[in-house]
Amino acid sequence: MITSRTTLQFATGWRLLLVALLLPLLQPPPVLITPGPPQTVHTTHPILGVHTRLTDEVEEWKIQRTLQMVREMGAGWIVEFFPWAYYHAENGNIAWQHPDLVVEHAHAQGLRIIARLGLTPEWARPPDTPLTYLDETAYDDFATFAAAFAARYRGKVQYMIIGNEPNLSYEWGYRATTPADYVALLKVVYPAIKAANPDMVVLAGALAPTLEPPGSPWGLNDLLYLQGMYEAGAADYFDGLAVHAYGLTFPPEIEPAPDLLNFRRVELVREVMVANGDAETSIFITETGWNDHPRWTRAVRPGQRIAYTLDAIRYAEVNWPYVEMMAIWAFRFPAPTRSYMDYYTLVTPEFVPKPIYEALQAFTGNG
Amino acid sequence: MVWLVVFFGGSAVSCTNREDAWLRIQETKVLRVGLDPTYPPFEQLENDRLVGLDVDLAQAIATDLGLTAEFVYFGYDGLYDALATEQVDVLISALVVAPERGRDFAFSEPYFNAGQILIVPQAEKDIEDMRDLNGRILAVELGAQGHVEAITWQRQLPEMDVQPYNTADEALTAVATGKADAALVDAVSGRLFIRHEPSLRRLPTPVTVEPYAIVTRIEDRLLLENINQSLETLQQTGKLDTIITHWLDN
Repeated sequence: MITSRTTLQFATGWRLLLVALLLPLLQPPPVLITPGPPQTVHTTHPILGVHTRLTDEVEEWKIQRTLQMVREMGAGWIVEFFPWAYYHAENGNIAWQHPDLVVEHAHAQGLRIIARLGLTPEWARPPDTPLTYLDETAYDDFATFAAAFAARYRGKVQYMIIGNEPNLSYEWGYRATTPADYVALLKVVYPAIKAANPDMVVLAGALAPTLEPPGSPWGLNDLLYLQGMYEAGAADYFDGLAVHAYGLTFPPEIEPAPDLLNFRRVELVREVMVANGDAETSIFITETGWNDHPRWTRAVRPGQRIAYTLDAIRYAEVNWPYVEMMAIWAFRFPAPTRSYMDYYTLVTPEFVPKPIYEALQAFTGNG
Repeated sequence: MVWLVVFFGGSAVSCTNREDAWLRIQETKVLRVGLDPTYPPFEQLENDRLVGLDVDLAQAIATDLGLTAEFVYFGYDGLYDALATEQVDVLISALVVAPERGRDFAFSEPYFNAGQILIVPQAEKDIEDMRDLNGRILAVELGAQGHVEAITWQRQLPEMDVQPYNTADEALTAVATGKADAALVDAVSGRLFIRHEPSLRRLPTPVTVEPYAIVTRIEDRLLLENINQSLETLQQTGKLDTIITHWLDN
């Protein structure tokens, strides 16, 4: 009996080993994904872009599918975030794999790329500071990364934004935010990018629309902040201004006012630029749109969202010759946030186009 | 986009190394409930009086646990921050279960499904679920979740004609007037509409699931246990159904 059991166990063991060896052979081979032949965006509204969220998208086919759908919708631009902290090691090594995927696929789809750079690696900031903390001791390190990025993607990435919403203290490492500090950053990073890639268009901002008064712990009014930037000598250190323009509950054609946050606040930003002799510099609206969450107090009904979005594009095309591009926030999230943020998107995480996507697709002549 | 989060949302702050809120609640006999009173019929202010399905539910739970419910109002975006910073003990405010928030918060058993439902004429006997809509006309609210869901189903039902309307009520009216065979709308809009439109009925099986639940801080396990026990009691005694029916069907 003992001998039989041993034999049985031995045979079972061999079978298990065989199965273990054979199982990997039964798995399908990894899918080979290539950017494919170069594509062209067909659109009747070349001003239209979208802010993609591929930073946290792991699977290559999803990156490719996202960018295909952007092109098929008739948007010729993407704004995408490339976090410095994710890629740049203290020893100087830069992990280019993920940005390479995004840039290669976007380029293959014929999309113009506005790359937003930000977030500070742990090694480049004091202990116990947040990712958004960037002080002057690390400006040179950031410039090194920005220059490397500009050089690597020459011919494929045409625009770069330095930071994000610097007029908010949250985006400035929870410190008091001053235009002078941000301009000091531009003065280090701008020449480094230009030296690495003279063709790169460097955008400042993107300023967050806010009414926060001077001294507020949260931030500073975007109009005051921009004026402060000019006073600190910013004009020679950016080629275009990135602006965020949300409609909230207002239709796009509502008149702007200094004490109101609405879509046409862009016109007040423009007034500051003109007053400072910077009329030749273009504005890039790197985030815009309406939200259709069922109960968020700053949302509109889904049908209104569609109408307002199309009207806003028409309005910008007719009335704002100084605006080169407007990107709708946000094209798609990799996973649901289960909050009102999901109701800004044009496509679900499962790649189901929302009706607003189809409306935009028809609007651009691709429907 | 962060400007919206900073000014209208805020970020959650996790609190640790503190005793379970249930212990303090037992001493004070007060359950502090956070809600946003702008979402009828779940919570709203009527002549400065707080009413709604969630209000009745909170009071029923408090009564069942031998407590008094004390309501504290917040904006929708600030609800989770209010809970994280211990300004309230629970949130009962038509909040959808969000697994992504599981690091800081815990969700009770769901008490209501606000997902998409099909509304059909009373006399319609051939439509039992979405699969029966091939070759039929489905009314939806333009751009709403029901519309997105309908587009998804169209992959399987190429003959289904999806007709968008500007509002959920207009989509439902299309069914009532014979312009559409069914409407796919959220459970709240659908139920509120058909209580005044007896020619329509809702199909019993929801098309999608969007569960509303009560939220506690992740560390308040005893409180969550008691909330869940109370919900079970309310369900078994029929009290929960009575509350829901009162606000959505009567």
